[in-house]
Amino acid sequence: MNLQIQINEQENKSIIHLSGEIDVYTAPKLKEALLPLTKEKDTIIEANLEHVSYMDSTGLGVFINALKLSKEYESKLRLVNLQERVFRLFQITGLHEIMDIHSTIRGVDG
Amino acid sequence: MDSKSCVRIMKEWDIVAARQMGREIAKNLGFGTVDQARITTAISELARNIYLYAEEGRIYFEAVESLELKGIRVTAEDTGPGIKDLSLVMEDGYSTSGGLGAGLPGVRRLMDEFDIESEVGKGTKIVTVKWVR
Amino acid sequence: MDTKDLDARNYTELLKGYVKTRDERALYGAEQISKTFIKNNILPEEIVNLHIQALLEIYPELHDKIQSSMNFLLEAMISYGLAHQEYQILREKQFEIKSEIHVAARMQKMLLQSNIPKLEDIDLGIISVPANQMNGDYHHVVKGKDGSISIAIADIIGKGIPAALSMSMIKYALDSFPENIMSTDAILASLNRVVERNIDPSMFITMFYAQYKPDTGKFYYSSAGHEPGFFYHSKENSFTEIEAKGLVLGVNPDTTYLQYEQEIVKGDMIILLTDGVTECRKGEQFIEREEVLEVIRTFMHLPAQEIVNQVYRYFERLQNFQLRDDFTLAILKKVV
Repeated sequence: MNLQIQINEQENKSIIHLSGEIDVYTAPKLKEALLPLTKEKDTIIEANLEHVSYMDSTGLGVFINALKLSKEYESKLRLVNLQERVFRLFQITGLHEIMDIHSTIRGVDG
Repeated sequence: MDSKSCVRIMKEWDIVAARQMGREIAKNLGFGTVDQARITTAISELARNIYLYAEEGRIYFEAVESLELKGIRVTAEDTGPGIKDLSLVMEDGYSTSGGLGAGLPGVRRLMDEFDIESEVGKGTKIVTVKWVR
Repeated sequence: MDTKDLDARNYTELLKGYVKTRDERALYGAEQISKTFIKNNILPEEIVNLHIQALLEIYPELHDKIQSSMNFLLEAMISYGLAHQEYQILREKQFEIKSEIHVAARMQKMLLQSNIPKLEDIDLGIISVPANQMNGDYHHVVKGKDGSISIAIADIIGKGIPAALSMSMIKYALDSFPENIMSTDAILASLNRVVERNIDPSMFITMFYAQYKPDTGKFYYSSAGHEPGFFYHSKENSFTEIEAKGLVLGVNPDTTYLQYEQEIVKGDMIILLTDGVTECRKGEQFIEREEVLEVIRTFMHLPAQEIVNQVYRYFERLQNFQLRDDFTLAILKKVV
């Protein structure tokens, strides 16, 4: 399974739509697309994970990297519409408490 | 035959001109069919690199002679962006992975001698020689 | 005559014979000769050239246009020849890398080989199997002078060499901490500072750190974002998930952790694992965490090491003997 990435850039806000699986094979592609967006001061980067059915720890690593960069460059990273299985990963790892996870779908509260 | 012939590379069709001139010279020097084809492929690769990455440059050909051997020297020179990491572009599998063709390791393999100098912001010079067997 | 000339001679003779007789034997000869071409690194353009020369010998009057077309084929073969040479080199390189990894994997095995200590009141079993040569899971067991036992289970993000490098870092950091005087939360906090300073920004480590103290009969634990394990309560004959909050190691230098405790009595079990256990896939389906418990229940009557071995064997078979992720499972059984 592959990962599709679509970036929608607005003024002071970039929305990155992801669909597919984020794993050890597709994570480099996500890294390449997501990290540069976090280097713009005062922008909001919103990652829409509605269509991400699976993510492994390599995928989490990319979001951690993005979070570190957003702190350094003073931008804001936000994740929206996480599926239950993907959200659980953020929950177990304690990342949901330090990341801006806005909404989840299928009955899980962010 | 001139001792030094030159083709300027600016557009894609110049690659063909360089190939043609190189093949003609190689043939006259007594290279066999296989080596003619190899030299021509190397010229193509060098010319295409100039066309794709440097925009402008030239390829020139010289007949060379050592004690017992004669051969052809193909030199590609451009004033393009230069290459930052020469070891990387000379690594097998680096440039070919993007489907760009034989790459510089291919050129080195097609020819008998190969030397490259490059400075970022100034340009690249590649000198290759093939000897008649 | 060198082998090249010999091959050329053979080729011409075989071709001559075949054109005349259309005999299968000649074709078999062609197969043999193509193997010697490969063995002697003869490139495709040279073979085409050989064919042209042979044709000219057999048909001195060969049509000019046919000859040109053969030259065209020769030209088209040059890049194949280059690709073939590149492939050969990459194959050699791959062999080199493989043997390097093999040595590294052996070193890592030595690093991981913490002899499982024998304890009076706790029966401990651990299994850790890498999906590939290098293991991204880590475990560490230390027995204290007072009869206490400390156990760490960690999962390093990603696999292979980067994971193994991080592992030696956490091993030496853990070894440098004073034995048993630190609480589990303090150990994770110290380790987190080491990891945060030394790790790539896209990497992190999850760890579960636990201590059992016989004098209190209690089990103390902290988690750095690690896949939760389970308690087995013998009185109720039931499993509960070990709840422990905490951020993964390597994200934030100031992270603090909480220490939790749980009293355990004879017959109770503590089950610690990595996500390689719970992320087993049956075909495209993930197994449920409850399924792991069912399997453990089946083997629960056995000694701890036997339980973990049997559970591993079960999931290995379920995944057709191809692990997707490193698999680590530890079981502590209170026997007294």
